[in-house]
Formats: sequence, structure tokens, C-alpha cells
Amino acid sequence: MFTPTYVAQQIINGVNLGSMYALIAIGLTMVYGLLRLINFAHGDLLMLGAYLGLLLVSATFMPLILTLFIPMLVIGFLGILVERLAYRPLRGAPEVTMLITSLAVSSIIENSMVMTVTAQPRAFNLPAGVNRLHTVAGVSFSTLDALTVGLSVALMAALTLYVRNTRTGIAMRAAAENLRAARLMGIDINRVVMVAFFLGSMLAAAAGWLWAAKYSTVEPFMGFLPGLKAFVAAVIGGIGVIPGAVLGGYLLGFAEIFFVGFLPPAFSGYRDAFVFALLLLILLIRPNGILGASTEERA
Amino acid sequence: MVRVEGLTVAYGGIEAVRGVSLEVAEGELVTLIGNNGAGKTSTLMAISGVAPIRSGRIVIDGEETTKLPPHAIVARGVAHCPEGRLVFGRLTVQENLRLGAYQRKDSAGVKQDLDRVYALFPRLLERRTQLAGTLSGGEQQMLAIGRALMSRPRLLMLDEPSLGLAPLIVQRIFSVIQQLHEEGVTILLVEQNAHLALTLADRAYVLETGEVRLAGPAKQMIDNPEVRKAYLSQ
Repeated sequence: MFTPTYVAQQIINGVNLGSMYALIAIGLTMVYGLLRLINFAHGDLLMLGAYLGLLLVSATFMPLILTLFIPMLVIGFLGILVERLAYRPLRGAPEVTMLITSLAVSSIIENSMVMTVTAQPRAFNLPAGVNRLHTVAGVSFSTLDALTVGLSVALMAALTLYVRNTRTGIAMRAAAENLRAARLMGIDINRVVMVAFFLGSMLAAAAGWLWAAKYSTVEPFMGFLPGLKAFVAAVIGGIGVIPGAVLGGYLLGFAEIFFVGFLPPAFSGYRDAFVFALLLLILLIRPNGILGASTEERA
Repeated sequence: MVRVEGLTVAYGGIEAVRGVSLEVAEGELVTLIGNNGAGKTSTLMAISGVAPIRSGRIVIDGEETTKLPPHAIVARGVAHCPEGRLVFGRLTVQENLRLGAYQRKDSAGVKQDLDRVYALFPRLLERRTQLAGTLSGGEQQMLAIGRALMSRPRLLMLDEPSLGLAPLIVQRIFSVIQQLHEEGVTILLVEQNAHLALTLADRAYVLETGEVRLAGPAKQMIDNPEVRKAYLSQ
């Protein structure tokens, strides 16, 4: 009943979904690592990226790749702005205060969109070529699927190189591990936080564009569920650790697709519940996530 | 080099430091001794700009730095090797050292200092690609001191460099401190091993429950009956 082709197809779908979760989770984990802030507004930046992409795709004739890169840049700067206005004044405040603030930011962004562009979902249609199906050995995927995976991997590789090798990247990893020690090294935390928001929001915008393209639709609340699931992915992988976010993202993508693909159809409605059950299970076994630092290490 | 005037540090309602005044002159090695909770660490943290200062002033090179952020204080030539080492366990030894030189732009000088730290602590050279979290306690302490040296500081603050280390390593670390002192680096040393600290230092302050109890040349402190009784257990 599960032919090799079918299994291969599921794997492709899993990689696809996992790539998007990973892109989103990276921004969440970078920000959490530095500020212990669970940024609920992250998914809303994803949504804004998708809307901006839609605007550029439908109202201009620019090359498709620009309709993706321009929103990434714009949303990157918007991320910096959100941090500057909403989160920086709270530096040193309790985690709960920051959490509530991010919920407020999320709500403000979503409702501003409802008031300006309405809650009506809009079609996100790409030129026909992008959705063309290719079939290799009985397994089919669209150009968009290939683009999603290729772009995600390229972006994540670039980010990894940046964080591994540059002065700011190393400072970012140090600050995520021990903020106070990083400050004693002369690292300007505000600068590192700014870079983290820029990069994370940029990746969220890319994910938003890809997400909208995959499901051919945008609406003001579209960022909520991907944002929440990417948070689950970040926690599963070990929050605060970038490779953990990537690992968690793919793990969650695969788990979700396999759950739907290999269990009787009656179960597929429990897809989201399953994701959270998986989170609980993994946290029972490894409370700090798969690649997470133990609590003593973090002190 | 650095002058602290009437410093009070408070965490919430609890005052860890109460009206402490002290001074470290250029090229001096000054030690702060006192029991746990006497306010030594908080004093250093306040100088570095990471402790909540309630009142008082900190002046570095004649310029008030009380309200400056830590990176601005590092920029004035202050390096802080904190209690408990606080090396970055997920970073390699070499990355930790490079972070010590975070603000420096002279890559040739940084390379030179890296070689110097490796010469001081050959163990670190052997382990330069290893994650700092996998080092032993003694090696981590060497790394923390090396990291502080990488900024080529004019004022080096060391907080409990001997804590929990084997005598042989303590000896090695203190001979490095002595060597730095002879090279003219200004040093402010917090140390629970009062005997060791007083032997090395030019001057000393004794802190008790957040206040300066005694101050004077280190050699006199060693002979002070009060100090002998309370801190040298003789």
C-alpha cells in the first residue's frame, strides 16, 4: 500500500514544509537566545512579507526573484523598527512583560492589516511556470517546491557561515550563551540584537512569500500558526541554538507530513494536536530540546 | 587610573556595596579581600558597568564613567575576568580569545597578543579548536585570563582567579599575574586566598559587609593582627 514512490513523495513534502518551519524558527531562536523573548509578532512579519510579495507580484513586472528579495529587505528593516520601538524600552524587564508586549505588537499588526486591506483572503498567484509539475521516477514536485528547498538551504547556509565566521556572528553566539559575559567583552548588545532582528525578520519574510505561494493565498492571520509551530520547532531543537532551530524545523515538517500521510485519513484532522503532543513528548525526554544547553551550562 | 567614590550597589532592596571608596593608580596591583558577600564582586561589576549603581561615582582616567554601558568601559581599556570564569562553552578556545579582542581593529596586534596568550598558556594552544565547555576548570580559568588579556587592557580586573583550582595551577596563574604587573599592567585583584593576594599586591582594601574596613599597603596588612585573625587564620 505504501509504495516507494509514495514514500518518496512524502519525504519531498516533508522537506518542503520543514524548510519553511526552519526558516521561521531561526529568527525566533536568535531573538529568544539573546533576550529570552518569545516573539509572537514574528509570524506577523511573515504575513507582511507575504502581502508585500503579493503587491510586487501583481502590480509590477519585476523579475520574480526581486518580488522575494525586496520584501526580505523591507521586512528585515521593519524587524529592526519593531525591536527599537517595542522591545528595547523593556530591556531588563521580566520575561512575562516582554511576552505580553509581543502579543500586543502581534495584535496591532494583524488588526492594522484587517482595517487597511480587510480580512478577506487574497489569491497569491505566481506565473504559471512556477507551479509547473516535474515528475522524476514517479515522484512529482513543482518548480516552486524546488525553489522553496533550494532557497531555504541557501539562506540557512549563508546564515550559518555568517554566524560561524564573522565578528558579529561570533558575538551573537557568545551573547546567546551568556549575556553578561558578552557585555564584559565589550560587545554592544543593542547592535547584536539589531542584527538578529534584521536577519530573523528577513528569513521570516522569505518563508512568508514561499508559504503564500504554496497555498496560493494570503490573509492577515496567516502568520499565527506557522509562527506557533516554528516556535515548537525551535523548542524541540533546543531554543537559543540556531542548528537546533533548523533540526527542529525539519523534524516537525517530516513528523507532520508523515502523520497525515501514513495514518488513516481519520487522523489527519489531529495534525496540529499531534505537533503539540510531539513537543510534550520530546520535552519530557530532553527538557532543553535536542541540541539545547543544559541549565547549568546556561547559568 | 580608576577611582571609586562612595559607591553603593543595590539589587532590589539589598545593598551589596555601601559607600565604598577606593583607588587604583597606574601600574599598581591592588587587592580586595573579604569574606563571601563582602561586596568585592559587586564592586568590580559596578566598575564594568553591569551592576545597578544606586549612588556614588566611578572615574576612569579622570573621566566619570558611572552611567556608561559596559562596551564603553571596555573601550577605555578595562578588562574584567569575572568570577566563575564565564567562558563561552559553546565556542572554541580560539573564538573565546578572539572575543576578548572584540573591539580591537589592529588585526596584526591581535595576532601578536594571541601568540602571547598561547605562549603564557601552552595548554590553550593545544586545545584551540576545542569547545571551551570541554576544558577542565583550570584550563577554563587560563582561558578566562587569556581572554581578558586579548583586549590589551590598561586595567585588568581579576575576580577569584584561584577559586577551586589545584595548587600547581594556582601557582602558574599567579606567576602570570606577577609577570603582567611587572610589565606595567594596572591590576585590581579580588581573591579569597588572602595570603597569596597580599604577598603579591602593592596595596589592599579589606571589605566587610559592603564597606571598606581597612586599607593600606599589602605588607602592613599581612602583619595586621586583625587581618591575620580574620583572613589569614593565624
